[in-house]
Amino acid sequence: MTRRERGPIRVGREGTYLLCIEREDRRSLLRLLGELRDTLLDDSELNDISNDKLRRLFPTAYHDDPERDDEYQRLMKGELLASRLDSLSWASAALERTPDDDTIILTAHELDVFTRSINSLRLVLGTMLDVQENDNPDIASDLADDDPARLHHHLYSYLGWLLEWAVTAQTDTLPAN
Amino acid sequence: MANLLITLTIGGVTSTADTDSLPIAIDDRDTADSNEIDRPWIVLVWNDPINLMSYVTFVFQKLFGYSLEKATELMLDVHNKGRAVVSSGPRERAEFDVYRLHEHGLWATMQKDSTPS
Repeated sequence: MTRRERGPIRVGREGTYLLCIEREDRRSLLRLLGELRDTLLDDSELNDISNDKLRRLFPTAYHDDPERDDEYQRLMKGELLASRLDSLSWASAALERTPDDDTIILTAHELDVFTRSINSLRLVLGTMLDVQENDNPDIASDLADDDPARLHHHLYSYLGWLLEWAVTAQTDTLPAN
Repeated sequence: MANLLITLTIGGVTSTADTDSLPIAIDDRDTADSNEIDRPWIVLVWNDPINLMSYVTFVFQKLFGYSLEKATELMLDVHNKGRAVVSSGPRERAEFDVYRLHEHGLWATMQKDSTPS
């Protein structure tokens, strides 16, 4: 995946943002967003309590009170799932546009859901890779070329890079700034 | 290639849960201390090794309207102390805040405020 020096997400005109990533990268992101959507729609994945990879997307709310947490999850997990699916849908729709120059104009809402969807992907991937605080940030370079984890670490790094730029663009336009 | 990568991640979780949780009998007003009943709920955000520090700061600004300075201070508490209280209030409000934080991928929980009044 390609990283531009100028940054892939910038503030545009009249409350919009510019997403500038190449077609091939957009296709890859679309595929990943679709995979996450399919996983979330798979009841066997979603309701498998031993399934660790989705743990970060549906955290506990009452860490010291399992009874209340059960009640909370019963009431809110469906709503949280619907919100995640809605975000993935909006983000995918934005990426499916076909601009002439690889620049997609996003509304504030579209960048918001794009950001949350990228973060969701990163949470799942980071959990699967068992990312820890003191991990070498350039761990992919230390892995053999044919190690499947190398690609996953590159992807994790790329998502972090995209997310960083998404945050920067939105922070620049927060009311307090 | 730009280099704004995962060196900015928040550290691993090592903190353990508080042991000051209140018993279910909290709703029994005949026996519960009135000060405990009046105690608000607090919303905690916990440290994790995946979310970017900048993202956590941004979410605090966006959801709670905190200044950059306040949001950064809270994020650093999360990073350095393992957790931070980001909001407080009635149970319904705390549940709403927890839900919004979960929507944004942060690890948030809620509990009765155990701070001595």
